[in-house]
Amino acid sequence: MNDKTRRAFLQASGFAAMGLAAPAILRLGDRAWAAEEVPVGIMYSLTGTTAIVEKSMNQCAQMAIAEINAKGGVLGKQLRPVIEDPASEPRTYSEKARKLVMEDQVPVIFGCYTTASRKAVLPVVERRKSLLVWPTWYEGEECSKNVLYAGSAVPNQQLENSLPWLKKKLGRSKLFIVGSDYAFPRGMAKTSKTICQKIGMEVVGDEYLPLGHTEWASMVSKIGASGADVIFSNVVGDSIVAFYRELRNQGYSFDKLPLCSSTTTEVEIKAMGPEYALGSYVSLPYFQTVETPQNQAFVKAFKAYAGADAVTHAAMEAVYIGVHMWAMAAEKAGEFTAKGVVSAVGGMSFDAPQGKVTIDPQNLHSYLTPRIGKTRADGLLDIVDQYPEPLLPLPYSSVGESAEKRLCTTSGASL
Amino acid sequence: MTYRSTSIAAYIVFFAVVFALPFFLNSFWTNRVATYLVYAICAVGISLAWGYTGILSLGQGLFFGMGAYMLAMSLTLAVPENNPVPDLMLLNMQPDAVRDLCCVTPGSFLWIPFRWVAVGMIAGLLVPCALAAGLGYVMFKRRTTGVYVSIITLAFALIGQLLVINNQPLTGGFNGLASFAPLTIAGFEFDPYGPSVYYAVAGILFLVVLGLRLLLSARIGQVLKAIREDEARARYLGYDVESYKLFVFCLSATIAGLAGMLFTLTAEFASPSLMATSFSISMVIWAATGGRASLLGACIGALLVNFVGSYASENAVLQPVWPIILGGLFVFVVLVMPNGIVGLIKAWFERTPRDNSSRREAYP
Amino acid sequence: METFVIGLSIGSILFMVALGLAIIYGTMKVINLAHGEMVMIGAYVTVLATRHLGLNIYLCLPLAFLVTAMFGLAIERSVVSRLYGRLLDTLLATWGIALILQQLVRIHFGLALFGIKIDGLGADLQNVPVPVELQQTWHLLGANIPVYRAFVFGIAVLLGAATWWLLYRTRFGSQLRAVSVARNTAAACGVNDKKVNALAFAYGCGLAGVAGVLVSGFKTVSPDMGTSYVVDAFLVVVAGGVGQLLGTFAAAGILGEVQSFVATWLNDVYGRTVLFAVVILILLFKPQGLFVTKSR
Repeated sequence: MNDKTRRAFLQASGFAAMGLAAPAILRLGDRAWAAEEVPVGIMYSLTGTTAIVEKSMNQCAQMAIAEINAKGGVLGKQLRPVIEDPASEPRTYSEKARKLVMEDQVPVIFGCYTTASRKAVLPVVERRKSLLVWPTWYEGEECSKNVLYAGSAVPNQQLENSLPWLKKKLGRSKLFIVGSDYAFPRGMAKTSKTICQKIGMEVVGDEYLPLGHTEWASMVSKIGASGADVIFSNVVGDSIVAFYRELRNQGYSFDKLPLCSSTTTEVEIKAMGPEYALGSYVSLPYFQTVETPQNQAFVKAFKAYAGADAVTHAAMEAVYIGVHMWAMAAEKAGEFTAKGVVSAVGGMSFDAPQGKVTIDPQNLHSYLTPRIGKTRADGLLDIVDQYPEPLLPLPYSSVGESAEKRLCTTSGASL
Repeated sequence: MTYRSTSIAAYIVFFAVVFALPFFLNSFWTNRVATYLVYAICAVGISLAWGYTGILSLGQGLFFGMGAYMLAMSLTLAVPENNPVPDLMLLNMQPDAVRDLCCVTPGSFLWIPFRWVAVGMIAGLLVPCALAAGLGYVMFKRRTTGVYVSIITLAFALIGQLLVINNQPLTGGFNGLASFAPLTIAGFEFDPYGPSVYYAVAGILFLVVLGLRLLLSARIGQVLKAIREDEARARYLGYDVESYKLFVFCLSATIAGLAGMLFTLTAEFASPSLMATSFSISMVIWAATGGRASLLGACIGALLVNFVGSYASENAVLQPVWPIILGGLFVFVVLVMPNGIVGLIKAWFERTPRDNSSRREAYP
Repeated sequence: METFVIGLSIGSILFMVALGLAIIYGTMKVINLAHGEMVMIGAYVTVLATRHLGLNIYLCLPLAFLVTAMFGLAIERSVVSRLYGRLLDTLLATWGIALILQQLVRIHFGLALFGIKIDGLGADLQNVPVPVELQQTWHLLGANIPVYRAFVFGIAVLLGAATWWLLYRTRFGSQLRAVSVARNTAAACGVNDKKVNALAFAYGCGLAGVAGVLVSGFKTVSPDMGTSYVVDAFLVVVAGGVGQLLGTFAAAGILGEVQSFVATWLNDVYGRTVLFAVVILILLFKPQGLFVTKSR
């Protein structure tokens, strides 16, 4: 074939392919599900920047659904996961959420990892009366009745334990707060300042770098020059690795200048190489090393599902909690609607891998057990501190919410 | 049939289909197609600037995002709970600040005019236009062309995105703005999932395409093509090339801003991710796939690329490889259909001999 | 002083990525949006080589160069060579190739579809072990200079010198320069311009691969790590003056220093903002870039 005819052939086949695909593309009407099945949406990024963590959350959600189905499903029906890939883009999250809620008619979406994605999805679930089960620890400051904040820690649950511990146990009093530049680190900083004022710690720095930024040399110099004797890091994502490595490269050690992070999980430690994080602290409610029978079963099951060198981390465990508690609430409510599930789930408890988790009926957030872990050489963390009881979630602690003065109640937020 | 009559027929068919679709689509697909039509409007703006005048702007996302934010601010303030001050400012203010838009957070007074939705709508057109005018004036007066324009617009958009993200108390930062009241004009509420928003978008697309077609069939259209082909020659022939380019750049930015506002209606949120480089590049790709020097082509390109992307990512079999399919589509288009789909059609016409009475455009 | 050193280090990475892009754009007027993916491939080569072949980072440098050069050659032969003269079409095609390459790494080059997983590939974060001697810090002239950054700077200078030698002291180099300036004349003089194109593209990609090796030492390796590099590199190439090696070097240096100093004094967000503003200003006042290729 010469060039011209080959080109014509390719063009014709291109058109033919498009023509054949057209009917499938333009689907008209809704889909019908088998009567014995309930579709549930799983919406974690499989491509793009946040796929790094979200992929394991996707796997965990599927594992949890398989567990529930094996025990007979919910209300006699098997759960059928509908998996979408929002590609780490908020507008794609919005689009896929619409598709799940309106086209596939799922009563619940297990999805989202970043607040930006959750905000884009919020209008969809609120308007179409569906439910989003949100797993990531975040800045709080939200009080939606269409979101189940299952396993998602809010700042007071990560700071009320760690800051006083750093002062008492390690004797530190000059805190440098550093984070990536967006809502979560800023919210954490606000709550940190309130707590520091109460316990008598001085905040000598409150700095931010753009998300994904990997030039940490000047920031580390700033930290050194500030006179801080302890660092609290709310740095997120890629920057974590660059930050920890830069600390090491500039000669700082965690014995002299301890660091406590709210975001460095087993995933990031594995990614940067445990030797860079060795000896640093992390404040989260869940670590792979938590010693409960539920966790041992959970870790074993996940390694069987995803591979022997998979790690379990806090966001994943929250997904697990979310799926199971949703199923329990639907069972109790006798129906799958968002309203039914939300009214049934308040006050409900679940034996999660981290211990008992209870949903607060007023703000739909979770009572979680705050823990502090110390990174060790194999990339996992030794638990050096944990609360005996789960702690009340206060999503508006950054603007002064307390157990006595609740700002997020069943009727919404009152700021 | 001449190319010209086929072209007119194609426009008629296209818009007939677009206007008829909502009768066959459920509310999800109505909303999805409406969003894709918003993207089409954006692509048309790029086609005007790039295809007709040769200005490749890699920063259209900035204008799109600005348009989105302007209307978003008005729609945020239209929510009853957000009076006197929206939640996002309450969460970012100093504890002792006055709860009034004038001074609750630094710069919050900028929101005051947006209490009126009309201001939001006008600003959505004017602000991108003003930004483009400012940048364009400096760029074109200095005779910047080609890839340098692309890089400057790219850098400009990056600056805009950084500034929006960094000013969380004012703009909502990285999370953007998301809880809106529905747009209500004279008592009529626009429903994102219903025909009202769809026809608003489709109608505006029709008007934009019609308006541009009329504009381009006048003398200005020929001047722009002359500028695209050889700028120096156009200048020597006496045309004020810089003013034409500035005009087109601003018009293209205004169209992008208009698309951004409509995006707020269909997708119900505005975020700095709309100003990202990858989104700006996507817009250029939509125009290129359909045929960059054709307005209708740009529309088709936007719809096609987005449909292929969503179909491939939602299909269980194709999901693991959908970016490969999308990337493959682009490579395929470039190798096989360098002038886009419309270019193919034009080439088919040019293959068979025509009589000289029908005017055809010489295609580069 | 430390700020200056940091600026040099930022500049070195920029320089290496930009150099490859400059050669590709300068010779062939191809906008290679897949260049960031070449950096990514260089980083993954390092991950795989250190994990499966037990090589250390020094040996990965030439290995990554070869591997990415081969990728580059393949891309050039199959797609880019058909697009000469169509600058803006190369943008579309290379963007498509970038998407494909990213996904290929995520699915272990297709093997994951059959259930086979290669340790070191996939969507997760990878890390690269850095030799102990490079993790130290020197104390010179009162400043803390991390050895790794000095190493990066050293390699950048070496590569710059090697490229200069290639371009100005070899026959291939003069052929490449001839083709950049006047393609048809060069072809008329007997230069096989297709071959020059292919090798130039491969060389440019190879340089990016080496940058990828160095980047993997202080950044996590993931399939999307490359995209941010393309934008920055293009800024440097265009600001420095297309086709000018010295221009690329100067622009990378200046932009690195600007970012570093502004970041130290104000904050890093403004560092990036000022960086972009500086680029815009450079292009507005010197529309051909800092150093202009003299042409008739």
